[in-house]
Amino acid sequence: MTKLVGFFTNLVQNPRRRNITLGVIVLLVGSIILKPLMSSPHVSLAAEPLLEHGPAWFTNALLTTLIVDIILIVLALMTRASLKEGVPSGLANVMEMVIEALYTLLENVAGKNAKRFFPIAMTIFFFVIVSNYSGLIPGVGSIGIYHGAEKEEGGHSLVIEEKVAAADETAAFSLFAAEEEGHAKFVPLLRAPSADLNVTFALALITMIMVQYYGISALGGKYFKKFFNFGGKGFMGAIFGVVGILELISEIAKIISFAFRLFGNIFAGEVLLAVMAFLVAFLLPMPFYGLELFVGFIQAFVFMMLAVVFFSTAMVGHDDHH
Amino acid sequence: MGEVLGQLGISGPLLLSQIVNFVILMVLLRLFLYQPVLNMLEKRKERIAQSLKDVERSSNAAAEAEKERAKILEEARREATEVRAQSARDAERIAQEIRSRADTEATDIRMKAQADAEAQVQTVMAEAKKQVADLAITATEQLLGRELQNRDEQERFVNEYLALQSGSGK
Repeated sequence: MTKLVGFFTNLVQNPRRRNITLGVIVLLVGSIILKPLMSSPHVSLAAEPLLEHGPAWFTNALLTTLIVDIILIVLALMTRASLKEGVPSGLANVMEMVIEALYTLLENVAGKNAKRFFPIAMTIFFFVIVSNYSGLIPGVGSIGIYHGAEKEEGGHSLVIEEKVAAADETAAFSLFAAEEEGHAKFVPLLRAPSADLNVTFALALITMIMVQYYGISALGGKYFKKFFNFGGKGFMGAIFGVVGILELISEIAKIISFAFRLFGNIFAGEVLLAVMAFLVAFLLPMPFYGLELFVGFIQAFVFMMLAVVFFSTAMVGHDDHH
Repeated sequence: MGEVLGQLGISGPLLLSQIVNFVILMVLLRLFLYQPVLNMLEKRKERIAQSLKDVERSSNAAAEAEKERAKILEEARREATEVRAQSARDAERIAQEIRSRADTEATDIRMKAQADAEAQVQTVMAEAKKQVADLAITATEQLLGRELQNRDEQERFVNEYLALQSGSGK
C-alpha cells in the first residue's frame, strides 16, 4: 500500500516523471476532446477506384503498388550506384547484408537450387515487406477524396454503413463540405497493396504456377504422377487415386491460403490500428504499431519461406521418399 | 461467385495487372539489385581469399627473412669472435717475439759489456802486472843495491812468479 502511494507521489514529485505523467494526461484529454470530431474508421474490404468518374481499375491499391515499385527500383538503383569493390558502406552495405543473409537462408533450405529460386523469393520478400509497411505510414488510408453520392450505388466496395453517418459528422471540417449533403463516400488516396486481394492473389498465383513449373522442369512428366496416380492395383489403386485428388485440391488450397493469410494479417492490422486510433486518438495505437511492424516483417518472411519450401518440395519426386 | 469476388475487390484485369507488375518488378530487381550485389559479394569473397593467401605468403616470407637474419647475425658473431681470438693470439705472439728479441738483445749487450769489461780488466791487469814487475825489479835493484847482470833473466823470473801468483790467487 505504501509502495503504491510512494509510486504515485513519485509520479508527481520527480520532475522527469511529472513531465511524462503530464504528457500522458494531456494526450488522453486531447483524445477525448478530439473524439466527437473524428469520423469512424474507414473500412473497406476492397480497394476503391480513385477517380469518381474514372476507370474502375485505377484503384488506390494499384497506385500504391506503383509507388512501392518505384521505391524498390530507386532503392535498387541507389544500391547499384553505391556498390564498390572495397569496404562496403551506406546503403550498399545494408542491402548486401540483407541479400546475403537471405541468400544463405535459401541455400540452407533449398540447397543447390537456391540460385534459381533467389530472384522470385527475394522479390516476394522485398515487395511484400515494403507493401506491408506502406500501410503503416501515417496518411496512407486516412488522406483521401470524397466522392459524390451518385457513386454510392456502384457497389464496388463494401463500405461499412456508419461510414456515411460519420462523413456527415465531419462535414464542417471537410474541404468538400458542399458535397456532404448527399451521402459522400470517402476514398483513401493510398492503400497498402498487401491489403488488396488482387495483389495477394497475384503473388499466390505466381508462386503456385512457379511451383508447378519447377516441379515439371525437375521431374518432367513424372511430376503429374502426384496428381494422377493409376499405378496401384485394386484397393491401393483407389487410395492413390483419392490421394491424387487431394493433392490437386491442396495445390488450389495453397493459393487461397497464401492470398488470404497475407491479406488477412495486413488488412486486420490496418483495421485494428484504425479502430484503436478511433477509440483513443493518442497513445493507445502505439503498442499496436509495434505489433504491426512485427507482423509486416513476419508475413513477408513467411510468404517467402513457404514459397521456397513449396518450390523445393515440388522438385523432389514422390518416389524418392520410398 | 462473381458477386463474392466483386465484394472482395477481386477483378480479372486488376489481378492480371498485379501479376504483370510483379513479374516486371522481379526482372528489374534481378537486373538492378540481385545480380550486381551477388556478383559483388562473390568478387569480394574472392578478394578476401586472395588477400588471406597474400598475407600468409608475406608472413611466410617474413619468417624466412627472420631466419636468414638470425643466421647472418650468428655467422657474424662467430666471425667476430674468431677475429678477436685470432688478433689476441697474434698480439700475444708478437708480444712474445718482441719480448724474446728484447731478451736476446739485452743478453747480447750484457755479454758484450762483460766481455769488454773483462778485456779491460785483462789489459789493466797486464799493465798492472808489468808495472808491478817493473816496480819489483826496481825495488829489488834498489834493495840489493845493484843492478842485476842479467836483466832479461830477471824479468822472466818475475813474470813467472807473478803468473804463479795470479794463478793461485784466482
